[in-house]
Amino acid sequence: MEPIIKIQGVHKYFGTLEALKGVNLEVQKGEVVVIIGPSGSGKSTMLRCINRLEEFDEGSIIVDGIPLDTAENINAVRTEVGMVFQQFNLFPHLSVLENVLLAQQIVRKRDRAEAEKVGMALLNKVGIPEKAKYFPGQLSGGQQQRVAIARALAMNPKIMLFDEPTSALDPEMIQEVLDVMVALAREGMTMVVVSHEMGFARACAHRAILMDAGQIIEEAPPDVLFSHPTHERTKAFLSKVLH
Amino acid sequence: MSVNPLSALPASAASAVRTEKNERFDRWWIMVAAVAVLVILLIFLKPDPYKNLFNFVRDGVWRTTYITIISFVLVIVFGLFVGLARLSKHKVIRGIATVYVEIIRGIPMMVQIIYWAFALPAIIQEMGSAWNIPSFMEYRPDGIVMAIFGLTFGYSAYMSEVYRAGIQSISKGQMEAARSLGMTYVQAMRYIIVPQAVRVILPPMGNELITLLKDTALVSAVAIPELTRRGREFSSANFNPIETWTMVALLYLVMTLLATRLVAYLEKKARYER
Ligand SMILES: Nc1ncnc2c1ncn2[C@@H]1O[C@H](COP(=O)(O)OP(=O)(O)OP(=O)(O)O)[C@@H](O)[C@H]1O
Ligand SMILES: [Mg+2]
Repeated sequence: MEPIIKIQGVHKYFGTLEALKGVNLEVQKGEVVVIIGPSGSGKSTMLRCINRLEEFDEGSIIVDGIPLDTAENINAVRTEVGMVFQQFNLFPHLSVLENVLLAQQIVRKRDRAEAEKVGMALLNKVGIPEKAKYFPGQLSGGQQQRVAIARALAMNPKIMLFDEPTSALDPEMIQEVLDVMVALAREGMTMVVVSHEMGFARACAHRAILMDAGQIIEEAPPDVLFSHPTHERTKAFLSKVLH
Repeated sequence: MSVNPLSALPASAASAVRTEKNERFDRWWIMVAAVAVLVILLIFLKPDPYKNLFNFVRDGVWRTTYITIISFVLVIVFGLFVGLARLSKHKVIRGIATVYVEIIRGIPMMVQIIYWAFALPAIIQEMGSAWNIPSFMEYRPDGIVMAIFGLTFGYSAYMSEVYRAGIQSISKGQMEAARSLGMTYVQAMRYIIVPQAVRVILPPMGNELITLLKDTALVSAVAIPELTRRGREFSSANFNPIETWTMVALLYLVMTLLATRLVAYLEKKARYER
């Protein structure tokens, strides 16, 4: 089957720093991939290349059959790919509901009633319909992140990207966000998740990937990668994370 | 949805909405009214000299007002371009804008205004003689136009800093979140960045308006008969500095207080606008 994400030989430079050194990755439809690796290894950069928030210098990325080349194609890909950020990045001047409605109306061109139907259904799904009229600043971190997930889902993406979605959260709020992500994975959403939450990876990921110094070092089912890593760098990294 | 919007809000937000309603008429209006009433009382209770004085400087008030308004509108537009230029990716554009701002900041406003009024026309006339261009030799620009140019050119530098700071205060993540949802750059600016930046920019922009209004007094130095100039004319003809400058000060105060209220009103609207 043709992979839904196809990354081939991607290099990315920040000035003289080579952040990605020839990354190859294929993700199948419905697959959940977890990416781990030390700080500065290029995890965020690779994820951000998939919806072209970051330009890359060499190689190609094809998402759902669309190559990331022209401006039109990039926008087309962005409407198919939802992204959840470490810092939530909700729009603070809009209510929770408006956060979930805006892009539906101006990008998907849905009318208000339809967008509200979709939006309220999603707020129900992430468990905070009663906060619809609040502003992001009035919500806890965990609630904000769940709204951010609902906002991305409102565009009916085929792929969801998560960049350390729980690492800005207080420990007691991590689970409520992970629960939403687990549910999403169970529904068959294609997900690429940068996260060191081993529990989540073991529960839902089909594949875990270790990145180091701008390269994919090793990939395997999470149980295998976490328990029987073959590569030295994977062992070194895991021993640090698992103490 | 048939939810009463207030009932869905938490106590703190609901009370914030309520206070906002109560304070639609805010108390500072009393101050504006008090100064205005004082002016009117002086005119009616002591027509000599206040009524004559008021009639004499009235056209000055008008001139001060429109010099302020025209300059400020130009400053809002020109300042935005300079502010965006200072944030530009292109080194040359950014460099030109930065040099402009640094030059303006280093020269007293008064000197800038005199330069536009007297030095610049003289330079153009000299050029006209040197190259034999008759229209340049005859160059006699309108004083008010040059005054407005001077103020605009000077204040745009300051305003560009206001814009720059406002746009920079919105985190990069806002643009990225908007783009990741498929919004175009223009949509992201229109719905996400600008509405947030406006809230940050309005208060310092209001300061600029009030400072500009007061600095129009400087153009009296180049013989523009605005309020300060008219006051000086009246006082030297009638030898009554106390009454003249009291009246002039009160008239400026009415204008600045009104401008302050206008800005406060806009700030409040921006805060609750969706
Ligand atoms: N905008 C940028 N400008 C310059 N260098 C950058 C930029 N973004 C990332 N880098 C550099 O690129 C490298 C990879 O960064 P990246 O953010 O992808 O790492 P990461 O694996 O996500 O790390 P972390 O776990 O800390 O989030 C790092 O060395 C980083 O300093
Ligand atoms: Mg990162």
